[in-house]
Amino acid sequence: MASVTPPAQFAPPVAYNAESVRPAEAPARWELVSLMPAIEVHDLRKVFRIPRKDPGVAGAVKALFRPRFDEKVAVDGLSFTVQPGEMVGYIGVNGAGKSTTIKMLTGVLVPSGGSVRVLGRDPHQERVANAREVGVVFGQRSQMWWDLALTESLSLIAKIYEIPPARYRALLDQFAETLELNELLSVPIRNMSLGQKMRAELAATLIHEPRVVYLDEPTIGLDLIVKERIRDFIKEQNRTKGTTVILTTHDLGDIEELCQRVIIIDAGRIIFDGPLSTIKARFGKYREITFEVAAGAARLDLPAGVDVVRAEPRQLALRFDRTQATASQVAAAVMSQVEVRDFSLAEPDLSAIVKQIYNGALQEEAAA
Amino acid sequence: MITYLRRQASIYGAIAAIVPKRFLAFEIWFWVSLILGAIEMMILVFFWRAVYGQTATLGGLSLDQTLTYILLAQVFSALADQDLIWEFGFSLREGLIAHMLLRPVGYQTSYYVQALAGLGVRLIMQLPMALLATAAFGLRWPTDPAAWGAFLVSALLGYTALFFFHWILASLTFYTTEVWGLGVLVYGLTRFFSGGLMPLAIMPVWLRTLVLAIPFAQSLAIPLNFLSGITPVAEAPATWLGQLAWVIGLGVVSQLFFRVAVRKVTVQGG
Repeated sequence: MASVTPPAQFAPPVAYNAESVRPAEAPARWELVSLMPAIEVHDLRKVFRIPRKDPGVAGAVKALFRPRFDEKVAVDGLSFTVQPGEMVGYIGVNGAGKSTTIKMLTGVLVPSGGSVRVLGRDPHQERVANAREVGVVFGQRSQMWWDLALTESLSLIAKIYEIPPARYRALLDQFAETLELNELLSVPIRNMSLGQKMRAELAATLIHEPRVVYLDEPTIGLDLIVKERIRDFIKEQNRTKGTTVILTTHDLGDIEELCQRVIIIDAGRIIFDGPLSTIKARFGKYREITFEVAAGAARLDLPAGVDVVRAEPRQLALRFDRTQATASQVAAAVMSQVEVRDFSLAEPDLSAIVKQIYNGALQEEAAA
Repeated sequence: MITYLRRQASIYGAIAAIVPKRFLAFEIWFWVSLILGAIEMMILVFFWRAVYGQTATLGGLSLDQTLTYILLAQVFSALADQDLIWEFGFSLREGLIAHMLLRPVGYQTSYYVQALAGLGVRLIMQLPMALLATAAFGLRWPTDPAAWGAFLVSALLGYTALFFFHWILASLTFYTTEVWGLGVLVYGLTRFFSGGLMPLAIMPVWLRTLVLAIPFAQSLAIPLNFLSGITPVAEAPATWLGQLAWVIGLGVVSQLFFRVAVRKVTVQGG
């Protein structure tokens, strides 16, 4: 496989090797990876001018004659590169600049500074050519025609993207089966539930087989079953077609399920860019081990760095600092004192890790 | 070249084809617009009969000529209908513009074919109004095919010019992000200056000069003048050339205006 090294100016702030995050089961198309990165972002900036008005009618009248503006820096000097076929989680708190970045990557917003190249093109300057090769889900906005049945929306999209009829029928059958859309094809979008709409939205986004897909909160407000179906579908598209995926979400379960790499931004700046496994290894200091016990012990003698999270008559949950104790040491200590029927070890919780990072874990680590 | 044109026709034909489906999704719209149109037609006929009660001619037009013009203007009122300001405003407010800009089609062209399809649907929906104008108010339809030909070409050119003009005005919504005031103002100006309420010949000279210096009248008054016999068919080529100049001028300006305005797009929130 060709080695892909991003140009120095696109080097992410945290050392990151794209090879290390590629899934082992990557298919043939993955092997044909182009030397050109799918997405190159360099020193990207977006500043919004927001009108400032004093409160009340007097303030509104004053603003008519003397408008004043505040500048809000939404994205502040982002640089990163995404290789073809990567699935990257792009996360941050509300207002961190995630959606603004996605809109600049799609060409909808014009950057205030810096550059964006998607498949070698400037997405704003070359809007039509870019649009042919990308797909976008904005979780809170539908791209389909509100009054039309799903099948009519999809067929119009097929015409717009000039999908050959036979290919369209094959893809429609495939999507209808994977996303369980058969019963929805004749239903107008306005009559669909949130989960149905999102499944339809994914079909509409991927029916033209885009090389790059931006998923902006695709599972927002959905139940677990629909989430699972959508995640499976995205995984399958990536596996079979080598689709590059940028995923923004507040549901870190999506990231854990789908992404090998994560970019965390705060106040428009990247604070972490690297493999998910690294972030877990670096910041997932605590793990939880849960025991099903025959009877609870009155008092347990535990190794250093182990805390009791929950102690119930039939269940005991412990949290341990893996730098001070190993899982086997904890398990051995418990088993020597109580009768254990079963036990399970939970991986570090990504949401807790991200919370740690936002609370300054990166700076603390750097200081240490 | 032919293959390219065929492909484009297929894409934009599909985009235009959604318009009737969207109209038909709301049957109530048909009945409401029919009732309101009938009331307006009745009011205008009685108004002009009252005006002509004091005089035999106005601006050189007899009552019969004026009524023919007014009834035709009511039947073909769709020629002066443009929804661009409301559509832009809605798509900006709801953030739908993000999706529209992400389609691999000409943004303006896709709106234009939808506007043309919308015009077709509205004209068909006006058929009951044509029957009402004929049966209740004695509208005499022109029988000269040349007048119809001059009207059709002029209507297409005028509608296109008005589309580009509204496109420029709609692009202002990228800056104002508020459409209600602008939409109502432009609707009122279009209704009056398009010649939908009175023939241009009746207007005072200064007002007629002003109306002809702005594009509103190109879509309704100018084509209707052929159909109602106010402008002789012999003047058609000169009129078409004038309208073509409007189309080219406004088309170029609208594209430039949009190219600058779209850089102001702000789609807030996720």
